[in-house]
Amino acid sequence: MTKTAPGVRIDGLTVVYKTPAGELPAVRDVDLRLEPGTITGIVGESGSGKSTLALSLLNAVQPPGRISAGSVEIDGLGDVVGLRNEQLRKARGKHIGYVFQAAQNSLNPLKTVGKQLLDLGRSHGVEDLRALVREAKELLGRMGLDGARVLDSHQHELSGGMRQRVGIMLALVLNAHLVVLDEPTTALDMITQANILKIVREVHAERGLTTLVITHDIGVVAEVADRLAVMYGGRLVEQGPTREVLGAPRHPYTKGLIRAIPRLVGDIDEAQALPGRPPTLATVPAEGCVFRERCPLRMDVCDTVDPDVRADTGADGPRAVACHAVTVKEHA
Amino acid sequence: MITGTGIVKTFKQRGKVLGAREVQALRGVDFAIPKGGAASFIGESGCGKTTLGRIIAGLETYDAGDVVIGDVPMSPLKPKQRQPHFRKIQMIHQDPYSALNPTRTVHQTLHAPLSLRARQTGRSRSWMEERAAEVLSMVGLDPGSVLSRYPHQLSGGMRQRVVIARALTVDPEMLVADEAVSMIDVSLRLGILALLKDLRERLGVSVLFITHDVATARYIGDDGELYVIYRGQVVERGPVDTVIADPVHPYTQSLLSAIPVLHGLELPAEQPVEPLESLDESQSDEGCLFARRCPFRGERCASERPLLQVTEGVPQEHACFYPERRSVIARPMSEV
Repeated sequence: MTKTAPGVRIDGLTVVYKTPAGELPAVRDVDLRLEPGTITGIVGESGSGKSTLALSLLNAVQPPGRISAGSVEIDGLGDVVGLRNEQLRKARGKHIGYVFQAAQNSLNPLKTVGKQLLDLGRSHGVEDLRALVREAKELLGRMGLDGARVLDSHQHELSGGMRQRVGIMLALVLNAHLVVLDEPTTALDMITQANILKIVREVHAERGLTTLVITHDIGVVAEVADRLAVMYGGRLVEQGPTREVLGAPRHPYTKGLIRAIPRLVGDIDEAQALPGRPPTLATVPAEGCVFRERCPLRMDVCDTVDPDVRADTGADGPRAVACHAVTVKEHA
Repeated sequence: MITGTGIVKTFKQRGKVLGAREVQALRGVDFAIPKGGAASFIGESGCGKTTLGRIIAGLETYDAGDVVIGDVPMSPLKPKQRQPHFRKIQMIHQDPYSALNPTRTVHQTLHAPLSLRARQTGRSRSWMEERAAEVLSMVGLDPGSVLSRYPHQLSGGMRQRVVIARALTVDPEMLVADEAVSMIDVSLRLGILALLKDLRERLGVSVLFITHDVATARYIGDDGELYVIYRGQVVERGPVDTVIADPVHPYTQSLLSAIPVLHGLELPAEQPVEPLESLDESQSDEGCLFARRCPFRGERCASERPLLQVTEGVPQEHACFYPERRSVIARPMSEV
């Protein structure tokens, strides 16, 4: 069975959570394309809505949250927002592989990895379980692990980097070609992180995947992603080819985020924390720009009008930014 | 001044994959952190850096060697006698979400150590209130708005500031920050790092920073010392910027090479070093501990263990028979 990397088209996606203060948007009016065969990175701080956006790809936003508007079209599946129960359960795993945040801790501590693999196979009606185990061993071997030994282990017997690779194996073993990795390297040290990122790149290329990486760490995206999308307060504020966005960021938040990265060389005072703090569900402004409280370029219009996303096409693909100040500057 | 000589710590472990074994967490580590000075311990997870930090903070025992606080060696003392000495060393943990009691307001959190302090020094209740406000201002929080709040009403960055404020209530001589910013939002991390540096400059508190992120290790200040720890041994030690700019140990070089390159802003290093295999603690302890993973290992490495030493032409101490400078970190495009 060969499949090709699917494309994904997210349009006008809004996800709200029910709170005592009413339904509040965790993700608001997001448009995003994942081109077939690319790696896209979504960067954001806590509360930016990046994990909620990723869960929407599986239509797996849990109550009190719900997708209140928009669509998520995946090639070969259609609009997943319309899928229900059994259809959805089958799509997860077979079409979409998901490596959860803290995959280190998302394994069942009471069962060996092999038993969990068999559970996964049975729940998806895999007839040839031997072939599934073979495939799992091959994938683990591909990632530099002794497959037989790992399948025979409980999670506490594996290191963080090993568990992360087990998570990737479980996401890919049913032959999914759309893979979502939520914080794939958090809590791993630098050498293990570099190793995992290399594996992500290689497996992505070899198996012909469309990959989405969610992270708070720009370095991770810089290392693996073709395209970079920046989220803040539930909005997608900037996106474009990774090198272009890092080399010439347009949105003041992207600029601030890049400036806040501790650097290895040069004056240490050049790197600066952003003033203020990221908004939470309760403090995201209902109207106007979500970033204005921390923005050095704030204008009057930012208080009342949510900036539109303005897109143009660069040499390496489309770029988009949602900022009044940038728009004004370009038209001046 | 806090010094350690020949600290040894062994843990016993069992497990199917990694095998039953004794783990030598620390194999005779020396360190010295001057009053008001700063040091960073870096290394992979499991290298022993956290164990060493906990020993320094009095939260872990050791099997050999000694910790000397001021000029008082800790080994001859009974646990109760050590307490007042170790109290001068306060630990800031990685996770500000679990370091604070969720049922206590910031005021209550600060009250406990302050009342102990007040009893010891015979001070009054009003002194406690003043001091609580003072430590909060020191960490950049507005006492009026945070004193009555519960941890869940604060952001991660603010919580970590409260944790630091709590540590300051006992007038510590040293703060031990174990991955203190890794769970803080990226845009706020530098704020916490700058705060630690600022406390050092204003109060003369020494800072020990434990991290796997080399770039943040720089932010303790350029007079700080960097200790690179591998499998319980210090393999390179020197001024922080010297070790980062001109590392000579292949392990330090591997750590620095693993830092993601910000393509678009930076150019990849010319001679990145990748370890030959991943860390396997069941590996034999013979010879250089890094030899099996080292792309540059030579004849001596398999049988002899290099010790931390100074050699000609290298400003920092290192534990390598074949020290060589390599260009392993990405360069900013603006400099090229």
